[in-house]
Amino acid sequence: MRVALITGITGQDGSYLCEFLLSKGYVVHGLVRRTSSIERSRLRHIYRNPEVYGKTLQLHYCDLEDATTLRRIITKISPSELYHLAGQSHVGLSFEIAESTVDSVAVGTLRLLEIIRDLSAPPRVFHAASSEIFGRPLSMPQDEQTPMAPVNPYGASKAFATQLCRIYREKYGIHIVNGILYNHESPRRGENFVTRKICRAAAAIRLCLQDELLLGDTSAQRDWGDARDYVRGMWQALQHATAEDFVFATGILHSVRDVVDRAFSEAGVDPGRHVHQDDRLLRGAESTSLVGNPAKAERVLGWKRETDFDGLIRWMVQAELADLKAR
Amino acid sequence: MPKKALITGVSGQDGSYLVELLLEKGYEVHGIVRRQSSTIRPRLDAVQARKDLPLDKLVLHYGDLGDGGGLVRLVDKVQPDEVYNLAAQSHVRVSFDTPEYTSDVTGTGCIRLLEAIRDVGIKPRFYQASSSEMYGKVRAVPQTEETPFHPRSPYAVAKVFAYWATVNYRESYGLHASNGILFNHESPRRGESFVTRKITLAAARIKLGLQKRLALGNLDSKRDWGYAKEYVEAMWLMLQQPEGDDYVVATNETHTIRECLEVAFARLDLDWKKYVEIDPRYYRPAEVDLLIGDSSKAKTKLGWEPKTKFKELIELMVDSDFESISNQLAGKIQFDSGIFH
Repeated sequence: MRVALITGITGQDGSYLCEFLLSKGYVVHGLVRRTSSIERSRLRHIYRNPEVYGKTLQLHYCDLEDATTLRRIITKISPSELYHLAGQSHVGLSFEIAESTVDSVAVGTLRLLEIIRDLSAPPRVFHAASSEIFGRPLSMPQDEQTPMAPVNPYGASKAFATQLCRIYREKYGIHIVNGILYNHESPRRGENFVTRKICRAAAAIRLCLQDELLLGDTSAQRDWGDARDYVRGMWQALQHATAEDFVFATGILHSVRDVVDRAFSEAGVDPGRHVHQDDRLLRGAESTSLVGNPAKAERVLGWKRETDFDGLIRWMVQAELADLKAR
Repeated sequence: MPKKALITGVSGQDGSYLVELLLEKGYEVHGIVRRQSSTIRPRLDAVQARKDLPLDKLVLHYGDLGDGGGLVRLVDKVQPDEVYNLAAQSHVRVSFDTPEYTSDVTGTGCIRLLEAIRDVGIKPRFYQASSSEMYGKVRAVPQTEETPFHPRSPYAVAKVFAYWATVNYRESYGLHASNGILFNHESPRRGESFVTRKITLAAARIKLGLQKRLALGNLDSKRDWGYAKEYVEAMWLMLQQPEGDDYVVATNETHTIRECLEVAFARLDLDWKKYVEIDPRYYRPAEVDLLIGDSSKAKTKLGWEPKTKFKELIELMVDSDFESISNQLAGKIQFDSGIFH
């Protein structure tokens, strides 16, 4: 029986990964932070299913700053695979709440690695690294060899965690994989991430529930993929015989403006009348030219992407339209 | 200039009621929320639905009681006249599972906030949400402001720490700081994993055919349960006094979980015995004794008294859960936090 532990299971990637692993026959354990409201929208459909929850899926209260609890849970469930996805993941906010971002993303990863190091049979570990470690890269596209140059507290924390994963892999021989993930989106993306915000606004404007969309820098470009493809890549990376780092990306850049145009055209509304720039939403220091080269993952893992940019935005806008109409 | 209040734990039960009260009183209200990848905050949506309130006077900021630097910056930016520290990992049973995290947020978090106030160099009035759980293995019945503490859970230990920190900052730095020692207080906005809400939700769901069983721990546990909406008025009143002080806020009555079941299920013409099963997983490693508060000091000094008593409280919670689930089934409910952009 294969047992997987997911940190960050309530997030976008965690929820898709949870579904994917359950479909592969895994027993899945997830760590959740305690909140006084137990609204876990992305997982609700799974854990409300009595055939699954308590049987093949279990959630445990734990926070990445609570080392004793982390140790107790990991020792108890003794996972064969551990997917480390948790962390404060919003780049703009990492300037506002720098200390807790660094604590969860950087030091949290260290705590986890320290516990794993002590286990007699350590699990294979997937660490969700990020394209933000490259910050302002000198070369395009970036690959596994590109030097790190983070430009925000989130990127710096991820760079720290990625380096530590490499160190623990080399020093202690633990099977640890860094997946250097470029942006990946879905209808479950956090509501204040830009793609989700745009797709939701396009749908809401279409249904006359909203009038205006305020955005920061619309010329900013990103390499955007479909979260389901990336989650499958995480699993593929851990099945590979040797522990290595892999870039997961599409290799294609699109601007925020492109997202706006695609999404509004999908919803059938005119962006010119509804989209405005708001300087308060500009980031302190923009990462630029982040585009990844997924050649290694494609060649070594046979990783393929099933959705392109247009398909991704179509899926997201249609999901928002369906969701808003259902209310 | 309107008064400015800063609330930690603003997305919780008490925080959301306190926001409504302070907005009604003309305050500019600043709330601190933790970052989560999902921005669904049902209790603040309930506030947002109050179109009679000046909602433009409510500002939310991202912060965390684990993030000292962010707290200093926020206190400096907002320059509050009143600070209400309501944030915590507040679930007693869960505090046995995550003691380290609970201590950090519930205990040290209070110190970080007090230190932020000291560093910024302002003297706002400070409210600390203390708890009846601090009495734990009780030394006297009923409990007053003079009753010694004997905490019986990581949560309660952390709350005692924060209580004394608040007293120390009052005595050492002359801060107008008050502890409200609040006994259990409930409402339709109570967290779904707290026993009263768990019961009222289950009764409504069973009535509507959505649930068949309800698993509970010790049915003989007794608590002093009041209405959260009235308890936040006591918080505010404490900060309007000439001096900071400590007050018990309670109903002076105690009831068992069994009585709660009886009232809740009877409200919907159900017999609780047909649905409830005992699950030892819900027993606490150490149970607290007879918690019953004597709030006569609050009555004398603040003119505060509980109005909604046990039966009425449980019934209003059942009615609310029944109505909102019925609406949900009819596709009428909205969960949308439009506050953040």
